[in-house]
Amino acid sequence: MFPWVYGFEWHAGYLIFLGVFFTVALVVAGTVLAALWRSFRTVRKKQEGRVYWHAAFEELTPEERRCRHAITGELPERCCDQEFDCRGCRMHARLQFQEGGARPAEAEVCGVAVPLDRYYHRGHAWVREADDGTLEVGLDDLGRRLLGEDGRVELPAPGTEVRVNEPAFVLRRNGVEARVLSPVDGTVLGPAENGALIRVRPAEGFRTVHLLRDGEAVAWMRHEVDRLQLALAAASGAATLADGGAVPQDLGRALPRREFDTVCGLAFLDV
Amino acid sequence: MVERLDEAWIARGVRRAPFDRFLLWAAPWAALLALGAYAIFLCLRDGLFHTNMDNRYVFGLWIFLDLAVIALGAGAFFTGFLLYVLKKTELKAVINSAVVIGLVCYSGAVLILAVDVGQPLRAWFTFYHPNVHSMLTEVTFCITCYLTVLLIEYVPILLKNRRLKWKPSMLVFEYNLHKVMVVFALTGTLLSFFHQGSLGGLFGVLRGRPFAFREGLLIWPSTFFLFVLSAMAVGPSFVALTTWLAEKAARRRLVKDEVYQTLGRISGKLLLAYVFFKCLDTMLWINQTAPERGFPAHRFYEYGGAFGTWILFTEIALLGLIPALLLLKPEWRARRGLLITGAAMACLGVTLNRFVFTIQTLALPTMPFDRLLLYWPSWQEFAAFGFVVAYGMLVYSFSYRYLTLFPQERELAMTEARR
Repeated sequence: MFPWVYGFEWHAGYLIFLGVFFTVALVVAGTVLAALWRSFRTVRKKQEGRVYWHAAFEELTPEERRCRHAITGELPERCCDQEFDCRGCRMHARLQFQEGGARPAEAEVCGVAVPLDRYYHRGHAWVREADDGTLEVGLDDLGRRLLGEDGRVELPAPGTEVRVNEPAFVLRRNGVEARVLSPVDGTVLGPAENGALIRVRPAEGFRTVHLLRDGEAVAWMRHEVDRLQLALAAASGAATLADGGAVPQDLGRALPRREFDTVCGLAFLDV
Repeated sequence: MVERLDEAWIARGVRRAPFDRFLLWAAPWAALLALGAYAIFLCLRDGLFHTNMDNRYVFGLWIFLDLAVIALGAGAFFTGFLLYVLKKTELKAVINSAVVIGLVCYSGAVLILAVDVGQPLRAWFTFYHPNVHSMLTEVTFCITCYLTVLLIEYVPILLKNRRLKWKPSMLVFEYNLHKVMVVFALTGTLLSFFHQGSLGGLFGVLRGRPFAFREGLLIWPSTFFLFVLSAMAVGPSFVALTTWLAEKAARRRLVKDEVYQTLGRISGKLLLAYVFFKCLDTMLWINQTAPERGFPAHRFYEYGGAFGTWILFTEIALLGLIPALLLLKPEWRARRGLLITGAAMACLGVTLNRFVFTIQTLALPTMPFDRLLLYWPSWQEFAAFGFVVAYGMLVYSFSYRYLTLFPQERELAMTEARR
């Protein structure tokens, strides 16, 4: 039974002691192997993006996980428990944001433009429906100010499948890297124009209910600017983001590297 | 430029000292580590004559250190048990730190045991020639197993490093390991329970040492259960104490107040239970066990000095009952200074308990012709001790700098900024 134990005898002492020991050793080894096997399967099925967001969402603070309906004031206080995917959220289904009055074409929050002809993702990407049924995906104005003129975006190759809340492209600037989450499910068709980054053919049955629009997007942007101010104050000891109440055009130049890094992480939810 | 050398490895949104200042902090510990490594080398090369241990004093500073750090390191298994099994979710804020402390304590203990045994290359003999009737065999098996469990528990913390988690495979493995952490928490609890107990049992079964010998239940002397209970009691206290020290060193809040309160409350309750059972055990020992073995208990304390009755009083009342009350009473526990004082006293109490069982047991004479033996460690023993301390400080410092030991740190920094 235990051939590798010198002098093993069929006594209760040996059996209990070695039995317990080898059971524990087997359980530990088996659990590690099971974790390795599951990891291997996840990588093989190319589901790393889903795991990434699941892990990243857990690391967000309650303030960062704030429900969109709490941001707009529809609910007093609520944290999202759906990983920012409102498509399966019962609360969201009950609380579709209602807005009265005429809808302007564009709004502004501390100098950050919020065009209202598109949908916004909470990771600062936007989506616009093109006339041909495809979707254009780009960075919002705050994202653009982080990217600046000398920043680079690593775009996914045409044919790549992108999924909501999974990393779609990588922003690089000043030695800082940040993953930008995809706002849509679909297949990348290639680079886009008109301020967008990529053009995507939406997946069958793709819905936009998880995305923000109109007044809700404006309220969210206000919340975002406020959040970034706080993060900067926490990182540097002083509030430095706003200059005369407006967000600088090029945040990469306006901020020291560490603060820029912090803002990138918070804005793109890549903490 | 040097101060920014490692910025890419530091988590986003948290503040860390510049790299050059961190190096300055690490340098003295590295020097102590080097000195300790030299002493260990001498002991391994030439033998244990470099120490002041002998055939009478077979357990010295090193075994005392082992027992103390293993008791203090119990915070790792117990915090894991509270979080993953009893679902005390607020302890998520300190579980990573507790794991690192546990890892440092256990790996340090195993390292020093390897030097003490003197033939580390033959360490595997204990697995191939196990004496299943020996408490020491059980300790060896459980400590090595639990150290493996702690290393596995450390892996997800390590893989959450900012650079490492950019590699998708690492992130996925970390995620999957994290999902099965409850299994490691349970096995860790089982292993820890038995080896903490067996460490106590080691002394309780010393029939030739009436000072340590105790009656018990079945094959386990009472010291088996008291060691388990005391380790469980001070584990949360040590986690609270180290968290507070880390906060002081970093000059920022790392966990919310409720975490301290939970740790203090649990520690206080268990400590009070421990003090109660320790009193019972001591009374039984004074009135029954010791006299039956031909030694009225007062004889153990008639040498005065370092081993007088004061040590018993200090261990049970001063460093047992008082910290238990400090940690139990909500009004006192709510004051951070009192909570940390209570936690520190509890840690000192269990350290003193291990000192008594290791050093005092061996110092007291058992034969009519024996005399009280006093022992003072050699510089090599102190240096090896220093090696473990320096190693612990460095591992913890590097872990704090590059890994997320306190997940609430970022949120608390934002809260502070809001004020």
